[in-house]
Amino acid sequence: MDDFERELRQALERRPAPPSLKRKLMERRNRLTAERRQGRMVWWQRLAASVVLCGAVGGAFAWHNAEERRKGEAARQQVFTALRIANRALSRMNAQLNERAQDGQ
Amino acid sequence: MAHDWQPDFEQLVDEHQSMVFSLAARMTGDRGLAEEIAQDVFLELDRHLGKIESPEHARFWLRRVAMNRTADALRRRRVRGVDLWVEMNDGHGVAAEQKESPLGARLEAMLATLPAPHRAALILRYQEDMMPEEIAATLGAPVATVKSHLQRGLKLLRAKAENQLREFVRTSKSVEGA
Repeated sequence: MDDFERELRQALERRPAPPSLKRKLMERRNRLTAERRQGRMVWWQRLAASVVLCGAVGGAFAWHNAEERRKGEAARQQVFTALRIANRALSRMNAQLNERAQDGQ
Repeated sequence: MAHDWQPDFEQLVDEHQSMVFSLAARMTGDRGLAEEIAQDVFLELDRHLGKIESPEHARFWLRRVAMNRTADALRRRRVRGVDLWVEMNDGHGVAAEQKESPLGARLEAMLATLPAPHRAALILRYQEDMMPEEIAATLGAPVATVKSHLQRGLKLLRAKAENQLREFVRTSKSVEGA
């Protein structure tokens, strides 16, 4: 290494960083950390809202299905009852017709 | 791979802020921009802190990212057509006590006029005392290219220094003659 290179090395010694650099850096870092934390919180809130919404929609769907089944069952029972009544009426009519036929003979 | 060394962000900032700032300042010639670049570099380090395995790795990583960031900044400025070194030659933002000896300041100003790849190689060689192989690894360039940049950069710098010195002697003589 010659004199010129030695002089160059001396000229290119590291400069001290401005005293404000670290302070500004730490402020930016804290701000970013806070933003990231807030972002994560918003994400969790959205996730929780989605879960609640899915639960509500699922619950409504299940309730709707159960209600439909209950109504179907009630309608079936009504049909059976109607059929039983009709059956009884027909049996009664049949018995009366038989009685009249016997009276005629 | 498990490693014992636990990086401490604040300690790394304390240790390397002058290195990162000096690299950025000498490459861009703008103290304000250099400070911004240094902050960006350290914030990126913060995000990648888990991947840093040793103090040497941290130093290598910081040098590489600092050089990449300054290259990006220079490219952006070139696109916008701003000559950064005008600011440095005017002593923009440099406190009087931070200025070097007249010869050192001249050398630094002359270094500023070199093409960016030559400047980068010379700064890493003479500021960071790195070998061409280390410079090549830092800049992601072939060793032969780095050696060529070093030789060519030094040659250009010597030529500029000789011219300036001759100019200086001529000016001194004319002042004495008057």
